[in-house]
Amino acid sequence: MTDDVVPVMQIGDTLLVALQGDLDDTTVIRIEEQLTREVSQTSATGMLIDVSRLSVVDSFIARVLARIVAMVRLLGAQAAVVGIQPAVAITLVELGVPMGHLDTALNAEQGLALLRRLRRGDTGTD
Amino acid sequence: MTTPSVDEQDPRAGLRDLVTMLDALTDHAVIKLGPDGEVVRWSRSAQAMTGYTEDEVVGRPPALLRTQEDCDAGLPEQELETVRRDGPRSFQGWLVRNNGERFLAHISLTPVAGGDGAVTGFVEVLRDVTETARAESLFHGLLESAPDAMVIVGTDGRIALVNRQAEVLFGFDRAELVGREIEMLVPPRFRDRHVGHRNGFLSNPKVRPMGAGLELSGLRRDGTEFPIEISLSPLQTAEGVLVAAAIRDVTERRETEQRLQRQRDEILELSTPVIQVWDKVLVMPIIGTLDTLRATRLTEGLLEKIAQSQAEVAILDISGVPTIDTQVAQHLLKTVQAAALMGTVSIMSGVRPETAQSMVHLGIDMGRLRSRSTLQDALQLALAVLAERAGTAEAAARALTSGEPR
Repeated sequence: MTDDVVPVMQIGDTLLVALQGDLDDTTVIRIEEQLTREVSQTSATGMLIDVSRLSVVDSFIARVLARIVAMVRLLGAQAAVVGIQPAVAITLVELGVPMGHLDTALNAEQGLALLRRLRRGDTGTD
Repeated sequence: MTTPSVDEQDPRAGLRDLVTMLDALTDHAVIKLGPDGEVVRWSRSAQAMTGYTEDEVVGRPPALLRTQEDCDAGLPEQELETVRRDGPRSFQGWLVRNNGERFLAHISLTPVAGGDGAVTGFVEVLRDVTETARAESLFHGLLESAPDAMVIVGTDGRIALVNRQAEVLFGFDRAELVGREIEMLVPPRFRDRHVGHRNGFLSNPKVRPMGAGLELSGLRRDGTEFPIEISLSPLQTAEGVLVAAAIRDVTERRETEQRLQRQRDEILELSTPVIQVWDKVLVMPIIGTLDTLRATRLTEGLLEKIAQSQAEVAILDISGVPTIDTQVAQHLLKTVQAAALMGTVSIMSGVRPETAQSMVHLGIDMGRLRSRSTLQDALQLALAVLAERAGTAEAAARALTSGEPR
């Protein structure tokens, strides 16, 4: 159960995951399992998934990303995707992948601010 | 060839058959000449070709039918002499019909020898080749007057014919081209492949452009290459299939196309500028009608600028767009969605009252896109969004450094 696929960095109560390389479907599924496990084990309150190194994001990866965000929310934390490349953004819009509810930010720094806002909204103090 | 002769001892019926067979020849005139070239027998086909009846010509000298120039030069007598000495001979010459009309004839003269070996007469066979010659000269005339360079190649890949334009285009003289392989006009790096393509064409010869969709190059004598277009068409001839290639130098057109493409790119570039008006705020004024191509460029331009400047707010100013219809709104929405995926908030500005009315009437739903009527209002909203985000960012940073949870 400890076959980690991606390195996960913990900064404060936030987990930072950087995805890179060619991701096949099996790897993506294993990443999904690993990340949900990490959130529950570390009791982190936020997760940033950095996809700036991915030049290709197909509809399957996109759907799994949205799934991970939903799972992390169910585990009581906030999650955001950061660093989506222009070409990837255009492709996802053209493919019509439903990602409207996904929280995104340009980079990790802005992602941290976004998580902060999301947590405030989550606790009802917005 | 058997020729009937008056002193042959064949049965009369056999003789009549031979005469009938001779008369049935319509495109050849068969004439029997005496030892000095005077006409002895005149077939019906000879009458049809020349217009003279047998009565008119029997006993006339060999100069009959010949042009005045040939007779003056003594050609008819010389030819008979040559044939008498050396045997059968064929040649071409201009002859004159009874009505004075000239025609080009293929003439073959065969001596007829008697029992002692002495020449007792001649058989002259005439064939009217005026039409063939005319067709050939027409073909050559057409070839020369064609606007394109023409190179005609045999099945062996060797050049059979070229026209003047081909000489000029490639810088070779005709004599240097004819008989050589066509590959001498192909840049060396394409030669091997060209041989394969050439055989492919011969296995299924039909009129078609060569290398459709490819950019073809020709090789000049001086070693320079130039872009060309080639149309191929097969020619069925007695010698087998020839391939006629019409070659056109497209250097000028290629350059014009490239210039046009560059200008089009520049215009697109100019028509979709993205301006950074504030730290982390971009404004994209959209002017004119948005078609799919422009909309794509616009989206790409904005997203690239976002990636480069890490701007958190993008203002799309549509005051320069004459009408927002469903399609334009669709393009704008896609741009907004793509920017949102990257983490940038979009604000629409420059919406005029009539634009707002028509958009709602058309049932265009811009979702939760925030909109302001003036660019100034939009900029204020952008700064407010930034300030709100900066506040939480600072708090987040403080929380991180102090280790304080949440």
